[in-house]
Amino acid sequence: MISSAVALQLFFWLCLAGIILPIFISERQAPRMLAWLASIASMAILWIGGNLLLTQDSLHISLWTLPELGTLEISADRISSVFLMAAGLVFLPVSIFSSGYLKRYLGRYSLRRFSALFFGLFASIVLVLVAGDTLLFLLAWESMSILSYLLVNFEYKVSKHTRAGYLMLAMGEAGTLAVAVALLLLAVATGGLGFSVLKTASRGLGDGMRWAVFLLSFFGFGVKAGLVPFNSWLPRAHPVAPGNVSALLSGVILNLGLYGIVRINIDLLPMTLAGTGLVTLIVGTMSAFIGILYATTENDLKVMLAHSSIENMGIITADLGAGFVFTAYGHPVLATMAFVAALYHMINHSIYKGLLFLGAATVDSEVGTRDLDLLGGLIRRMPWTALFFLAGALSIAALPPFNGFVSEWLTLQTMLRCAELGSRSVKIVFALCGAGLALTAALAVTCFMKAFAMGFLGKARSSRVEHPVHEKRSMMVPMGILATLCLLLGVLPTMVIPTLDKALTPVTGASAYEALVPPFFAGSSEHDQLPNDFMSEFHDLGAQVGQEFLPLKGLVVLHRGGVQNPVVFAMSTTYMFLVLIGLIGLVYIIVRIGVARYRRVVRQPCWDGGIRRLLPEMTYTARGFSNPVRVIFDAILRPKTVEDSRETVAEHFRFAIHRQYKIVYIVDSLVGRPLNRIGFKISNGLAALHHGRINAYVAYGLITLIIAMMIVLL
Amino acid sequence: MVRVSLNEQSWSCEIEVSPDQLVEVCGWLSTKLGYRFAGLIVEEQRSEWELYYVFCGDTEAGLVHVLVRQALVNVTFPSISARIHAADWHEREAEDLFGLTFKGHPRLGDFLLHNDRWQENLCPMRRSFDGHKPVIERKPELNWRPRRIVKDPGAFAMPIGPIYSGVTESVHFLLETVGEDVIRTIPRLFYKYRAIEKIAEGRHVNDVLLLVERIAATTAFSHALAFCQAVESICRVQVPQRAMVLRRFLAELERFRHHVGAIREICESTALIVAANQMSILEEELLRLTCAFTGHRYLFGLTIPGGLSRTIEDKACQETLDKTHRILRTLGKLEKMLYASSSFLDRLEEVGIVSAVNAGKYGLVGPVTRASGHSCDLRKDRPYSGYDTCAFDVPCELEGDGYARLRVLFAEVYQAVRIMEQALSALRDGPVLAPTMEMRSGAALGWAETPRGATFHWLRLDDDGRVVRFHPITPSFVNWHGFHLAAEKFAFQDFPIILATFDLSVAENDR
Amino acid sequence: MSKWLFKGLQTGIKTTRYPAQNEHAPGVTPGLPLGGSYNEEQTRTLARCPAGAFSRRDHELILDYRRCIHCFRCYRGVAGPVNWQSGFEWASATGPINGHMQMDQAFEHSIHILVVDAGDCGACLNEVKQLDNPFYNMHRLGFFITPTPRQADVMLVVGPVTDHMRTPLQKAFDAMPTPRRVIAAGACALSGGVFGPSFVCGAGLRDLIPVDVEVPGCPPPPLAILHALLVAVGRKPSSGLIPSIPHLREKEANTL
Repeated sequence: MISSAVALQLFFWLCLAGIILPIFISERQAPRMLAWLASIASMAILWIGGNLLLTQDSLHISLWTLPELGTLEISADRISSVFLMAAGLVFLPVSIFSSGYLKRYLGRYSLRRFSALFFGLFASIVLVLVAGDTLLFLLAWESMSILSYLLVNFEYKVSKHTRAGYLMLAMGEAGTLAVAVALLLLAVATGGLGFSVLKTASRGLGDGMRWAVFLLSFFGFGVKAGLVPFNSWLPRAHPVAPGNVSALLSGVILNLGLYGIVRINIDLLPMTLAGTGLVTLIVGTMSAFIGILYATTENDLKVMLAHSSIENMGIITADLGAGFVFTAYGHPVLATMAFVAALYHMINHSIYKGLLFLGAATVDSEVGTRDLDLLGGLIRRMPWTALFFLAGALSIAALPPFNGFVSEWLTLQTMLRCAELGSRSVKIVFALCGAGLALTAALAVTCFMKAFAMGFLGKARSSRVEHPVHEKRSMMVPMGILATLCLLLGVLPTMVIPTLDKALTPVTGASAYEALVPPFFAGSSEHDQLPNDFMSEFHDLGAQVGQEFLPLKGLVVLHRGGVQNPVVFAMSTTYMFLVLIGLIGLVYIIVRIGVARYRRVVRQPCWDGGIRRLLPEMTYTARGFSNPVRVIFDAILRPKTVEDSRETVAEHFRFAIHRQYKIVYIVDSLVGRPLNRIGFKISNGLAALHHGRINAYVAYGLITLIIAMMIVLL
Repeated sequence: MVRVSLNEQSWSCEIEVSPDQLVEVCGWLSTKLGYRFAGLIVEEQRSEWELYYVFCGDTEAGLVHVLVRQALVNVTFPSISARIHAADWHEREAEDLFGLTFKGHPRLGDFLLHNDRWQENLCPMRRSFDGHKPVIERKPELNWRPRRIVKDPGAFAMPIGPIYSGVTESVHFLLETVGEDVIRTIPRLFYKYRAIEKIAEGRHVNDVLLLVERIAATTAFSHALAFCQAVESICRVQVPQRAMVLRRFLAELERFRHHVGAIREICESTALIVAANQMSILEEELLRLTCAFTGHRYLFGLTIPGGLSRTIEDKACQETLDKTHRILRTLGKLEKMLYASSSFLDRLEEVGIVSAVNAGKYGLVGPVTRASGHSCDLRKDRPYSGYDTCAFDVPCELEGDGYARLRVLFAEVYQAVRIMEQALSALRDGPVLAPTMEMRSGAALGWAETPRGATFHWLRLDDDGRVVRFHPITPSFVNWHGFHLAAEKFAFQDFPIILATFDLSVAENDR
Repeated sequence: MSKWLFKGLQTGIKTTRYPAQNEHAPGVTPGLPLGGSYNEEQTRTLARCPAGAFSRRDHELILDYRRCIHCFRCYRGVAGPVNWQSGFEWASATGPINGHMQMDQAFEHSIHILVVDAGDCGACLNEVKQLDNPFYNMHRLGFFITPTPRQADVMLVVGPVTDHMRTPLQKAFDAMPTPRRVIAAGACALSGGVFGPSFVCGAGLRDLIPVDVEVPGCPPPPLAILHALLVAVGRKPSSGLIPSIPHLREKEANTL
């Protein structure tokens, strides 16, 4: 058995090879090389993650020691391994996808440069996740920021792309600065840079310091995770990156922001203040709501997916916030439940968002457009892409039996458990946030129904969509892998939950596993969490059937409210899936045997009222489909009318009614633009100092020198 | 040079102008003197085109024809549609049927003959075209797309019809929308084009009368009346007094039945099913009454040039009037109940508004225009068949919405019964058919106020009584043109209600 | 709202008992002319009919009911009017009622009807609208109107088939799933009426799609259309007024 340390070394050697090798090979071979090397590297990461999660293996490596700054350590615990698994699960399909996808850049941009940047990014991401002390963490973080900026900016010849990338870098740097200050504050208060030192010494910190560290790190990591109100860069940067890089950005790099929040608030500085948890919860809910609202009213596939990433990050953050509040009020089991939900949703999001972005990249590269108003009928030309995109859409819309449903269910159930908290105002906040999350779930269904229906179903809306398309196997197989994972993670939640629980128990001190997945009630029907009479009722229902041969502790996710709220919530996607398969099979058999013998099925064009032909402009557009949402939330979206004119000839022959409107991102209008204005005002004020007269500059220098001498002498 | 000739007997005037003076003269008649544009009649004579622009004023002003002549080879005429909006569809129809070009009209092309079934230069109304044989060579425009008005990136056009809903006439709509409310609707008509004008040419007047009754059979009697009056005018026949009185009686009976049907449609469109069923009981009772009284449920075959085709006893008229009064009493109760149903009125009030200005600009006729403030009714403005001896009101409302049109329909029913009562008391013994009827050649305009509005029938006969040119200007043709005024910026659900309150007939428009 | 409920109850039952009993109320039907023995006066009748509905065979005056347009010129204001029948059961099946003409038992008491207006003047359509009023209430017989051909069992066509309506009519017929029946109602649908044939109107629906039941009249009263529907589902026998002519129906039956 290869240990994790060896696998990690192999991984870094592979990345180095991936950076250096491009010098020796041609452009044409670069995608293939990248795919092979990156696939093996991803498998190494998956090996490490699996090892750490499922076995007793551990990873602690001390690297060089720097004078005055301490030792650079690599230490990965189970939480890191969860994030490593998520990263590996996304990197593997993206690598395979790249071999076919990158061919479109041949001749225009350097693929060797891409390969080098790609492996550099991979290495720095893994380094962030396994860093064991502040310095290594910050170094890895910074290199990850810069390398991801370079990859976003890969098509640098387009000025819109460079602007978006630059904004991402600028805001990312502001975030990094805040994170650095937070970590250094913590280091100063505890007297060391290693994470283990920070952890043990942080128990004695006062409330003021806790708030400062929390706010700075939340801001810093929040920028990276794309939380409102610091995410102006996300809807701009994600769409302009190359397709496979967008999948990485949404599927892996956003998770790093969450990793930071989790590391600081669960591991290094466990939550004791309910206020910080509430802030997290509220910011998460708002991000979720705003994210999905803009996604629903957006027509460009990739921009819509970017907004949807904001939504999912918001849901995860809300889960984390709920967990923080539960920790602060002393309910560790509930807190673990919330964190399990958060991590589960994070893994799910990586997978289905990766899948959707790869699907969008396929459509973009084969058809040439991403505008939903120009697509249509693609299911006939790209059936496999449509199938996998559908799996991704169903997952992200949280429909059973896919994985999105499980994590959404866990999230909302956790919100409901707020009944066990004491403070009424906190319960009200929880209730409102829970309602907000439910609203986002509903809007998500609308959004992705629109995306799939307008893009793949119906009639082709433009000539670009009408020519035949060749689906490359290298692009279909990774999407298939991800779609299968979506289904598996949805159908087998009782395998995932214990794994996540094992990752969290060391840091939270309690296990939610028994609370969420009761064992098949065998024989003695004894259970420490659930009362005996309740158990015997289930026993009578026959819940123990199958316990001999089924490998898991149970197939039902179930939990029971507290003493004041003795309600049972149960759900089993496994059984749902089996019933679904059974019903579909039954219908198929009935139709085949019972009906098809006597009737003939005829396929005919859609009934259109008898007109000669049904034109695409007579079918719903994406904008029309989402118009009711736009009208209801008009107060938030505030579309600005750009044009509303009528063209008339000879006073009454109406020729055209021109209408155009623009939606400005609310975060830009409420946060971005005012900050811009203030920034400009300050800099304009300061510019008064730079008036070009040498005498004044000499005077500045003299005054500064005098003040410095006074400080030193006094 | 402008040539004017007056006819004091028929209170009409003919102004002959050259083509370059046409727009100015028509504009002067319309804006300065306040005449309403009634229609355009195109005739292909042996060596030249004759275009009559018919303007109708009130009782004192009379009828004015503006006549333009041009050699057959020259098919370009100036368009008056920019000044007189009501002429728009008349010019388009003339372009499709005769191949004339109206310079300055921006929308000629696919109108009556659908471009995806027929080639552009078919010109079926020309003498050289044989209307009895099928057209073998066809060059339809297969890439034809409907014209779109709304240029919004997310706009699309929902198609409705021609086969849609339950029991409806065949007409195609495109509702242009961005997903919330409908911005614009453009009806595509003439799916029911039967070329009545073409097949009438060469037939005897008595056979064309059969076609006229079936232009829009729910108002068959009024159309037949207008046609017969045109024939009587050409042949200079005096209709006996008893026939004139009976014609009034029957015309008002038809108006009563037609309006009850229209109110039923309005109730059905708002889904007030009990009221709709109550109205349909009354409509069926009126249909059975008409059938028992005259032999046919829709008054077919009753009026012929010179009078009526059969005698009708005074006693039968009295019985019919008694039954009519009974039905009217029930109708009055239903009217009160409808005005008190707020959910019903909610769907009619302020929905589908046609302003008085627009009604005037488009020259709308019938209850639609009376609900928008224009009190015009041919029975008062140009009385025929002895209507000047009757005392009755022309109900008029100001709001121009669906509720106003409903109130006008109800009020007209009361006036119709009032005329029927006066007709009964004015009935004297005598013949119902003029003793002799000698066919003469000539041309005349006949008119009547059908239940849907004013209709004008232009007729030219030759010596044997065969029709040379027949052109009916029907009220639905005029009102369909103005339908889009009421149907702009509304919700999808209001569309059938607005359509029902307009009481339009597609058969009457398409002819 | 409750006022309407009481109004409905107050009005009572107006529905006819047909088809259980014959309907005799005045005004339900305009009637149809009858053929008869041929003599001197009938020569004038032959000439008077503008639709050419009368013909002579030996000493019999034969009436082609497909052509009668209810102009009453053979009846009103003439010295020797033709005989007149005042019933309404006029619908004729174009093929044998039993065998392939009869629909399954399942359809006998529940069919959905698609009404297509192929250029009709308004009279036939208005009579079809009356079928749903309280006097006739076709719902009690299991007849319902549907707006889409995909759910229709019977297509009821009125009007001479105008050129612009040929494509919609053909598409509607093709869109109906089998078993399907077509009823042509009115003189225009049977023979083109006064309008056809011309360059825009046909000579009847038969030239375009196979017709199963034909109802003469201009317009046929609601009870005649009701009778036609009953004939189409096999609950009433064909009247035999219109002799059947072999047509595409046979060909279609053989290919099913």
